[in-house]
Amino acid sequence: MLGEFEYVLLTAAAGLGDKAYGAAMREEIEATTGRKCSLGALYTTIDRLEAKGLVTTWMSDATPQRGGRAKRMVRVTAKGIEEAKEFYDAVMRVSRGASWVVGKTGRA
Amino acid sequence: MVRLDWRVVEGAAGLLGCEDREAVLGDLVEAGEGAWRGLLDVLGLVVRRQAELWRSWRPWVAALGVALPFSFLLMGFSVSVSLGYRQVTLHGGWLGLAGRAVLLVVLAWASGFVVGSVSRRTLWVSVVATFSPCLFCLARFRIASLSRGCLLLFVLPAVLGVWWGLRGRTVGAGVGLMLALGASMGMGLWGGWWVNWFLVWPVWYLVVLGGGDEKAYPRG
Repeated sequence: MLGEFEYVLLTAAAGLGDKAYGAAMREEIEATTGRKCSLGALYTTIDRLEAKGLVTTWMSDATPQRGGRAKRMVRVTAKGIEEAKEFYDAVMRVSRGASWVVGKTGRA
Repeated sequence: MVRLDWRVVEGAAGLLGCEDREAVLGDLVEAGEGAWRGLLDVLGLVVRRQAELWRSWRPWVAALGVALPFSFLLMGFSVSVSLGYRQVTLHGGWLGLAGRAVLLVVLAWASGFVVGSVSRRTLWVSVVATFSPCLFCLARFRIASLSRGCLLLFVLPAVLGVWWGLRGRTVGAGVGLMLALGASMGMGLWGGWWVNWFLVWPVWYLVVLGGGDEKAYPRG
């Protein structure tokens, strides 16, 4: 099963589609989670996901707005989508009845 | 013009692989990050990358299994060759000395080759593991008839071996087998202390590599 950050990263990459690369994914993750995301954590997690066959990456052409540097593009594979969906379903199942879920009351 | 603080960030990014460096520096420029956070990001990735490398057996074998112990053994062998030269100038026996000198070159080269091909991006640790014993022994060298440089006769062939190993080259199975048999025979004739036999296994490693599939060769 995926880890929490792996799921967040897969979701960000899937949401960005063809525009998924390091800086854009970091911005997306920081905006949605409200937490800082280091490039070290980002790129090592991308490597791990790639090793598991959940994403593919490739280097794009260099662009002037990046100081002539290339981007490392990320695309979620079919297996990655399947794993992310499994994680999401598991979180939804385990959350049923929890007090913080909208429309539910806690048992404690 | 690139500011000095960004030069520091770019210098730190030099510790990363080519693609990582390109992607990370581009991300930092695009996001308009300050140099301080940029430096933390780069160093964070460098540390994570190094930590990943040390999860493999390769750097441990290269640094602690070869570089450190072989440095002591090859220094001892270098001194024995140097002492042999002193004796030969007095009593003759050039053939034996030449054999020992060639043996030293082959053993040092093969050891360097193993360190270069196995340690890959952790080579700097293997270099430290090699030269720490050298500094230790240089500081305590007490043979009046020899210069301290005699300890380091093995360094040049070892460096050539490292360079060869880093470039992913190997030797053919036939050449490797000849070297290995020659080194084993030479060790039997002129090896001296039995512990020196450990120096022979990198030469046999060459035979295994040379006989294996080219694609199976460990690359960085």
